[in-house]
Amino acid sequence: MARRPGSFTSDAQPARSFWSRFAFSLLLAGAFALMLLGKADVLVVERFRTGVADVLAPVLEVLSRPAASVSDAVAAVRRFRDLRTENERLRVDNDRLERWQHVARRLEAENKALRALANFVHEPAAAFITARVIADAGGAFVRSAMINAGTDQGVRRGLAAVAGEGLVGGVVEAGAHHARILLITDLNSQIPVAVERTRDPAVLAGDNTRLPRLVYLPQNAQVLNGDRIVTSGHGGVYPAGLPIGVVTSIDDGTIKVSPYVDWNRLEYIRLLDYGLNGVVKPSSGQSSFTLMGPERSASGQLLGLGGR
Amino acid sequence: MRTTAVQRVDLWLRQATPIAFMVLLTILSTVPIGVPGYTAVVPAYTAMSAFYWAVFRPDLQPPFALFLVGVLQDVLVATPLGMSALTLMVVHGLAVTQRRAFLGKPFVLAWFGFVLIYALAAFLVWLLVSILALRPVGPEPAVFQYLVTVTLFPVVAWIFVRVHRHVVR
Repeated sequence: MARRPGSFTSDAQPARSFWSRFAFSLLLAGAFALMLLGKADVLVVERFRTGVADVLAPVLEVLSRPAASVSDAVAAVRRFRDLRTENERLRVDNDRLERWQHVARRLEAENKALRALANFVHEPAAAFITARVIADAGGAFVRSAMINAGTDQGVRRGLAAVAGEGLVGGVVEAGAHHARILLITDLNSQIPVAVERTRDPAVLAGDNTRLPRLVYLPQNAQVLNGDRIVTSGHGGVYPAGLPIGVVTSIDDGTIKVSPYVDWNRLEYIRLLDYGLNGVVKPSSGQSSFTLMGPERSASGQLLGLGGR
Repeated sequence: MRTTAVQRVDLWLRQATPIAFMVLLTILSTVPIGVPGYTAVVPAYTAMSAFYWAVFRPDLQPPFALFLVGVLQDVLVATPLGMSALTLMVVHGLAVTQRRAFLGKPFVLAWFGFVLIYALAAFLVWLLVSILALRPVGPEPAVFQYLVTVTLFPVVAWIFVRVHRHVVR
């Protein structure tokens, strides 16, 4: 940039006059006011946000396609390179899984028989909605994803979102053609979970890092590295037993969980509709979420057990 | 000298380029590209844009347009409405008052200016997020994003220079 382009010396000097300074301050104040309004959960603000996102969803959808095909191509090259080792691994996996299949069949039969004996109340069957991730909004303070299905496709707030192996998060905003998923790694995500081996209940709290923490464990809980963490179904928002991840580090009472979801290949998300309404009220007239608000009753109940 | 309608439209389009380009950057920065860890540190392209045009062509970057782009970014990224708008205007405001220091000087100086000004803006964002969350949030992601942003600034600024020379003029 040795030779600077344009002729800026002859330009008008904008922020000099009183009027433009006044306008500038007014806009700054406006930005603050917007933040406060958003914080106060004004329904109009929420409608505005959903409306704008709905209008932009088709644009994002178009733009995310070439990006997806580029990352597909990269993945294809990588797969080709790893073909041999992959094959070997799969063969071993297959052997192991076949053994598991036998075990699972036997357990399923046993389970069925025992349920019949005990007159067990069946869990509702799940309906699926599969949608593509069209915006993977990141930045330093938010972990959320936007998908190309909305209320027109039957999406509503509170649905659990899974991708492949595990829980991704929950729907916190549903427009007509888009929905926003709050990822389990987000600062405001708190999900009732259980340690699969011991059935100890806990809350999985995101902290914007890749490894959410396990909090509110019972005093005498014995958690080990490698323990699987699943949803507990408490609060009636998420169904019980959805796999989330494994415990990877236990450090001074801080227990980190590594989610099963591959965040780098979050292309399609499946929304599970178990017909659970739980503590989430119908969205009309309900106070809305803010991704960054503290855990007030509404969002706290929506995403877990509530405030700290 | 009378200008024809075509010339006027042409001029208008050229002058709208900085803001239009910024809108494009806003949308592009949310597109999932599948690079590991990218979403956490996606650089603040809009802040770079706000800084560049505030220094070199502040007349083409009215604060009101910045405000709207910021709100758009807030909607897309799901940050609290008004936060990005505030950040962009702070970057713009600071850069405009200091622009004399960067004009006609080597590019390194402008880069240094961006490093300082964006540090202030990033700190402001962290502060606002912490206040809105009613607890201090971990600063690590913000620090990473800051480092990525200031490191990539020369690359993105190079594109701005091309746009400035050949499109805006």
